[in-house]
Amino acid sequence: MKNLIHAELLKLRTTRMIFGLAFTVLALVPISVMGAIVSAGKPRGGPALGTGEGIRAVMSAGSSGVLTVLIIGILIMAGEFRHGTVTSTFLVSPKRGRVVGAKIVASTLVGTGIAIAAAVLTLAISVPWLASKHIHVHILSHNVGVVLLGGIAATAIYAVVGVGVGSLIRNQMAAVVVALGWTLVAESLLIDLAHEIGRWTPGAAAAALDGVSRNGLLPMWGGAVLFVAYGLLFAAGGTRFVMRRDVV
Amino acid sequence: MTSIQISGLTKRFGNVVAVDNLSFEVAQGSVTGFLGPNGAGKTTTLRMLLGLIEPTTGSSTINGKPYRELVDPFRHVGAVLESASFHPGRRARDHLRVLCTAAGLARTRVDEVLDEVGLADVGDRRVKGFSLGMRQRLGLAAALLGEPEVLILDEPANGLDPEGVHWLRKFLRTYADQGRSVLVSSHLLAEIAQTVDNVVIIAKGRLVIQSSLADLADRTRPGVWVRTPQAQALRDALTAKGIAAELTTAETVEALETTTEAVGIVAAGAGVVIFEMTSKHFDLEEYFLELTTPTTDSITNGALR
Repeated sequence: MKNLIHAELLKLRTTRMIFGLAFTVLALVPISVMGAIVSAGKPRGGPALGTGEGIRAVMSAGSSGVLTVLIIGILIMAGEFRHGTVTSTFLVSPKRGRVVGAKIVASTLVGTGIAIAAAVLTLAISVPWLASKHIHVHILSHNVGVVLLGGIAATAIYAVVGVGVGSLIRNQMAAVVVALGWTLVAESLLIDLAHEIGRWTPGAAAAALDGVSRNGLLPMWGGAVLFVAYGLLFAAGGTRFVMRRDVV
Repeated sequence: MTSIQISGLTKRFGNVVAVDNLSFEVAQGSVTGFLGPNGAGKTTTLRMLLGLIEPTTGSSTINGKPYRELVDPFRHVGAVLESASFHPGRRARDHLRVLCTAAGLARTRVDEVLDEVGLADVGDRRVKGFSLGMRQRLGLAAALLGEPEVLILDEPANGLDPEGVHWLRKFLRTYADQGRSVLVSSHLLAEIAQTVDNVVIIAKGRLVIQSSLADLADRTRPGVWVRTPQAQALRDALTAKGIAAELTTAETVEALETTTEAVGIVAAGAGVVIFEMTSKHFDLEEYFLELTTPTTDSITNGALR
């Protein structure tokens, strides 16, 4: 199993895809943090910066790259089918459950790594900026630490969900389109229009994890439990599907 | 000893029966050619053998175990499949490093196999720049990583230039001579006839024949072809000596199931002038076609089996 995880990490390191996606995530951080700070307290913006809610909104902006990590999870699995490398992968390890497990561990590690980097970048930008506005944040405070940790956890679990989706949907492009269409369009509509249902969707659970209380979302702990459950569900479903699929 | 055992394998894809109750075996230390026209079910059979496709019924083993139950399969079996595929953006050496890592093999094997297949100079290039022949060699390099005692190749000669085919033949021969086993599929008998000890021929998913190449040759009728101005006289002389012969043109005679020596002696005795004489080897390819074309189904199922 250890060998397989190492091999999965090596696979990621030896193509350019992962570096492009990691760069995308980190490039989004300054933009969304800037947006959160600039719009704070404005009529159509977030809560004022001086409040706890305001600080949380700024910190949660740092986890805006979660969907990119979802895509990493999808590509790590569906990419094998796309390029046909799944054949040699399953020849080395005919016990396919272990392969999916190794991919889940690898993408979680990478997702967490990217999320930690994003969190550090968020602090590096927001703390001096807020200090210049005479707002002093303590990194270990409830408003900062919990929000950043929630964002990191959401990112890691999104990686697991991604591996599940990539296992369930044969076609890499279709898997990415379905996943983004669902999270960006379908879920947003459900949350806005029917939040009694929408709050139970994976995306809403992940959003609840960032600790910014928004209308209709579950509390943070509820989001955490639900999103972990979704992660396990997708991982189990994907594994089961991959185990039975003929590799032709 | 048996390296590979296929027992009653059947695979249905919906209504299509791709492989139909197929059984054969590969002896240790031999090269076995797995032959059949395109679409005969060769690739499906090999993929079932390698645990990539779940058979509808039947089973297969390598060194006595189903592939999925082998511990460290790369150390037992190396496989190059037809759609040997690589991530286009990954360097050849990295592709092998990934497999080495996953299989828990020593890193030093990467350079060794690159050297063995003649790709040492291009190991650091990304696979997207590789020709079909280079990809085949890289696939073979991957199969050799674990120094397996069984090698399974699906249409390995595809995309190789004549020099590459020659190299492959020598390679497989040397490999089997070390007491290891090779199962190699092809849709062209001629391509592998020089290399194999045994042949398994299938058509439409069913076994047509399993035989040693020598036995297969015995089933055809070698003869002697003669050009002579006295064709009629030669034919009569041969027939008188009990050798079946026929006029193929006014100046040529074909004697069946005999040798040039025998024909020469008869011709001398009859005072027949010979311009040209050659022993006629049977055409394996023609025989193969005869065995596998649909119109000969009744023959293959009846007379030859």
